[in-house]
Amino acid sequence: MPIRLDPEESETAALFNFVGDLAGQHVLEIGCGDGRLTWRYADQAASVIALDPNPDDIALAIKNCPPRLQGRVEFKLGTIHELAASLASAVQPPGFDMAILSWSL
Amino acid sequence: MVHALEIIHQLLRPHGKMIDIHPVGEPSPIEVRMGGQTILAGWLTEADDFVEYKQADNALAQAIQRRWFLVEREATFPFVTHADSMSELREYLAKEWKDAILDDQTARKAEELLARPERDKELLVHDRIHILQLSDI
Repeated sequence: MPIRLDPEESETAALFNFVGDLAGQHVLEIGCGDGRLTWRYADQAASVIALDPNPDDIALAIKNCPPRLQGRVEFKLGTIHELAASLASAVQPPGFDMAILSWSL
Repeated sequence: MVHALEIIHQLLRPHGKMIDIHPVGEPSPIEVRMGGQTILAGWLTEADDFVEYKQADNALAQAIQRRWFLVEREATFPFVTHADSMSELREYLAKEWKDAILDDQTARKAEELLARPERDKELLVHDRIHILQLSDI
């Protein structure tokens, strides 16, 4: 059996305990890695932009993105600085309701 | 790090929330579970990561001091990594947790415990994680 990370889902429980209902929320996740945490909450959010600077991790996250989340979750390769730069030229930059930094600061 | 927090502050809607999750930065106990019993084999330590966690805490403190964010709640929770063998754990550490230091004594004790005849055994690495909720001001 491969390595199992937090099969007890303590991280998800702590996250939901803190954020409550994510319905209608636009979420920015910084340091999403391979999407391990993203899969666990994205169902509830209106939209998720999930960033990571590691191309291997982002490729894995895109590859493994469950079909039900496609269109709701957008995985992007890059840093928060690069995202901010790309949004600076947007006519109407998105405002996020929530930012999640998962082991990334 | 502080600049990244400033950008997040700018990207959030007024009163938006920020959740930061990172390990507290202390040695992680490694145990072997055999059925319902767990035995401590030793500790996993880290070098640079512990420093980075402190830097993250300092950056958050600065962001709060600059009144970008207000602390709403904080807590800690356990995060357990499960492996079936030392080789599996070593492979994972080499790939995903490069900063981890697994000393020979701990590895040897874990190997000995895993070699026991009992069935249903696994390695557990326990981390304690800090979760902080902040509100954008």
